[in-house]
Amino acid sequence: MANTLRLYLTCIRNTLEAAMCLQNFPCQEVERHNKPEVELKTSPELLLNPVLICRNEAEKCLIETSINSLRISLKVKQADELENILTKKFLRFLSMRAEAFQVLRRKPVQGYDISFLITNYHYEDMQKHKLIDFIVQFMEDIEKEISELKMSVNTRGRLVATEFLKQFI
Amino acid sequence: MACFERASPALKDILLKLYRAEKPMEIDHQLYEFGSVQYHIQSSASDPHHTYLSISTPLLSQGALLPDKLSHATIEMIKGVGSNAVDIVEPAKEGYHLTLRLNFSKIPRDKDSVKVITQISAMQAVIISYQLKEMLQNVNSQVTLHGMHKPIKLVYHPREPFFVIRQPQKIIAVFPMRFKENSDVIIATAFFQELMDVGSSQEWAKAPPCIWSPIPPPELRGETFEDLSTNGGFVSFDIYSRHVEGKRLDKTVWSLLNFYAYVKSHVKCTRGFIQRRMRKRLESLVKVLQKASSEEEEEEEQFGKDQDAGCNYMRKLVSLSKSKILKRRSYGVLSRKIKRIRFRIKIHGFGRFRRRWLRFPKFSSSMGYTKLD
Repeated sequence: MANTLRLYLTCIRNTLEAAMCLQNFPCQEVERHNKPEVELKTSPELLLNPVLICRNEAEKCLIETSINSLRISLKVKQADELENILTKKFLRFLSMRAEAFQVLRRKPVQGYDISFLITNYHYEDMQKHKLIDFIVQFMEDIEKEISELKMSVNTRGRLVATEFLKQFI
Repeated sequence: MACFERASPALKDILLKLYRAEKPMEIDHQLYEFGSVQYHIQSSASDPHHTYLSISTPLLSQGALLPDKLSHATIEMIKGVGSNAVDIVEPAKEGYHLTLRLNFSKIPRDKDSVKVITQISAMQAVIISYQLKEMLQNVNSQVTLHGMHKPIKLVYHPREPFFVIRQPQKIIAVFPMRFKENSDVIIATAFFQELMDVGSSQEWAKAPPCIWSPIPPPELRGETFEDLSTNGGFVSFDIYSRHVEGKRLDKTVWSLLNFYAYVKSHVKCTRGFIQRRMRKRLESLVKVLQKASSEEEEEEEQFGKDQDAGCNYMRKLVSLSKSKILKRRSYGVLSRKIKRIRFRIKIHGFGRFRRRWLRFPKFSSSMGYTKLD
């Protein structure tokens, strides 16, 4: 793993460990309702300051915390057009299957490629460190997968080009 | 549009069926392939020895520079297929370029029979490629007819025209590339760059040099705006005399005619590959989260078991406590008292009064709420 990536991921891990202190908290506006405050933002006293962690201009992570929920939004590196379409395709594919992940948001926050919403229910169902591990591993895997996909597409292109030119000889 | 396989699979199936039939069959089929190739197969029980096959293909160029009728060499090639079994009917059926009379009884009943029928099914490839073949055959000729250096637009599919430009010592084939989706453009562009890289290497020096450019090549200057507006750029192949020598001519022509189909097939396969890979990765990503969930459940179960064991032990210890004995004694009296307190007082007509005057308005939330699992 590149050194800068390790630092970036460590920073996100530490921030998540500090921010992930969720508890059940009923809605203050509507009786017997329980809503993720980070989404509704109805009561400012229930929200914490959002934290923005940037690796560079193209790669950043926004962590928004509230008393009963946490929202993590990621922007993934897209160096060229091929990486851009691969990232879009892959993240859209994952978002379409958000129910498999439980914590994945169907629509990313504006300006980001993918968002997660962790509520106190997820926090109670799953272990805190496992959730953090999942987020960090997800980020690692996405980067690895995109670069591998790009390499595979180029390699396939090269093989197909070779086969095409073989016909002339 | 051409297909990788020269022989039409549908036509081959029908002809094989007719050939293998023990009794004469009544058939009148019309087939369309790739939106531009049309076949008409006729066989009647009254004339069991003959089957008529009519073929209509798009002529590549409608210009005056190339012959519209099949050349003598092409006709000879068609006649050569299956020797006595195939005859050309003159004139061809209305609306078709070629009509063949097939006599299956003259095709020998051995292993070669399938080969002959495959060759008959590949007749459309012969017709499609004859114009380009004749152009490429004259790559080295010094005869320059009037306007021969102008690009010749070859349209074998309305959406996929390409240009052939004759130059001294070589012929340039230029393919304007158009795609429906943006992602296809990017995948195809990556392929074109690889094609250029591979073509420029020493290993492939014998292959025709290939150039991809996002802007039209200077040779196409003066062509219409519709022909020059693309989203995938322009791919050019320089064909020299060494690429059209002997048997290579046929291969080169077929490769050029299939270039669009080849690129589109690659793009489609790459999209499928990406999809398969994403599906695989999804499974591995979900496993991480499921593992976290299952471990938590296991821990809870373990904790629950420990707690139950402790409770059972405690329950045994306090089973004969004073409170329980007292509870048992006073239970009957207490329950009766509670029942009396909770007993509903019935007032005659109160229910109707409550429905009429004490109706609470229904509360509806402006924001829908669903419990997050």
